[in-house]
Amino acid sequence: MKDKTLGVLKPLVIDKYLTTKPMTLNFPTETLEPVEGYRGRHFLEMEKCVGCGLCARMCPNKAIEIIELKGRKYPQIHLGKCCFCGLCAEYCPTTALKMTSMAMISMFDKSEAVYGPNKLSQPIE
Amino acid sequence: MKKNKLEEREITPEFLLPFGPQHPASGHFYASIIIDGERVVELNPHPGYLHRGLEKLMEYRTHVQNCMLVDRICILDPFSNEIGYVNAVEKITGIEVPERAKFIRTIMAELGRILSHITWIGVNSMALGLDSGTRIAWGNRERIIRLNEIITGGRIYPCYFTVGGVRRDLPQGFKEKIMKELDYVEKQLNVYDSLVFENEIFIMRMKGVGTFGAKEAIALGTTGPNLRGCGVKTDVRKDESYEAYPMVDFRVVTMKDGDAYSRALVRRGELAESISIIRQLLEKIPEGKFRVIIPSFMKSPKGDTHFCCEAARGELCFHMVSDGSPNPYRVKVRGPSFSHTLSEFPYLVKGVNIADVPAIYWSLDPCPADMDR
Repeated sequence: MKDKTLGVLKPLVIDKYLTTKPMTLNFPTETLEPVEGYRGRHFLEMEKCVGCGLCARMCPNKAIEIIELKGRKYPQIHLGKCCFCGLCAEYCPTTALKMTSMAMISMFDKSEAVYGPNKLSQPIE
Repeated sequence: MKKNKLEEREITPEFLLPFGPQHPASGHFYASIIIDGERVVELNPHPGYLHRGLEKLMEYRTHVQNCMLVDRICILDPFSNEIGYVNAVEKITGIEVPERAKFIRTIMAELGRILSHITWIGVNSMALGLDSGTRIAWGNRERIIRLNEIITGGRIYPCYFTVGGVRRDLPQGFKEKIMKELDYVEKQLNVYDSLVFENEIFIMRMKGVGTFGAKEAIALGTTGPNLRGCGVKTDVRKDESYEAYPMVDFRVVTMKDGDAYSRALVRRGELAESISIIRQLLEKIPEGKFRVIIPSFMKSPKGDTHFCCEAARGELCFHMVSDGSPNPYRVKVRGPSFSHTLSEFPYLVKGVNIADVPAIYWSLDPCPADMDR
């Protein structure tokens, strides 16, 4: 019986968590620091892009479409379909398409999820 | 006097109680339980709430693209799924993987096992009403997810392994980073011991509940920690060693009783073993290439292949048929949770109290995503 009482009291070791910092973050005001090499939103360098379309062919979800802009071909990414695997950036022959560590890309309207070449080449804050 | 509606109703002792799919302790899994008072008479599982048609989707994607898809088989243990698929493709095409890639894959697979088992401590505590266990375990899980993020670039879906190696080399100072987290997890194991595994209330809820013998377990298709909990010494990592497992020394944890508590202790033992495996691998990891470059739309020769690996929940097998095109003709996945939920669970809950149903369910460590696919 005595052993059982001890066993019931054992979990009280977690009292130490009363004096430690919480494991969670106060989200909208505090966020996790972005990690180098994180696969977030894409970034396109329009001068480097040759419009080969390999990114569109490699995309597992067919989220990339090749469109024409001022006589040249560029990728247009539907971020709603994208699974952020980074295959497009990995197989880009000129490294024009890159993954950035930007993770905060939620939007209210579905149509805003379509990122054309102009929107993709905007600098990341 | 006129009888009211309640009195007119035919009274039977049996009653249908739904378990899931919105139950906090069931995941996306629905089972209808027929109860008589407090006792379970029969349990009928109804799978399909998380069916995504993964096997069919794989037929429309190339081998490299499929590496991104197999993560979704079981969200809590992504590396084992990737290791299984990638090895099946390498077996059918005959690609030789660099030694360093094998080590990296094994380290990540073991990290995935730690991740899965810590998550399991959390959900099992939740099923028993031990909420502090859930919070602490899931809080610690975050640290390993952060490590995943640093190494692979993804938090939950790492998409790290590819045909011919891994997609990027380990970052600078990886040894210290991984060692630091391993030390932390090892220190936390003492907390789990006193909070969960040696907690008298936990033992009273788990001991002698959901017991089956080795013979019955094998007949029901049990694999992994659940079978080891019945005293059967079986582990694919030892039996048909793959990747860098032949180069490490580890113990196959077994328990004799075959009840929910022995299954819990097997997982506790495996956490310590995984930490020791990663430490050994980090000491021996060779320098060199981490990837063989393969064509983007590589064609695989005609034929079929079969590869099994030890996932955190049990044996995960891939049977792949190829017709010579860049896509697989058919991929059949045999996940460990399929038998956990659909054959063992209904068998084990016959005649137990309703309160023991979540305890038995989570002691089997099923993953509804893996079961439905």
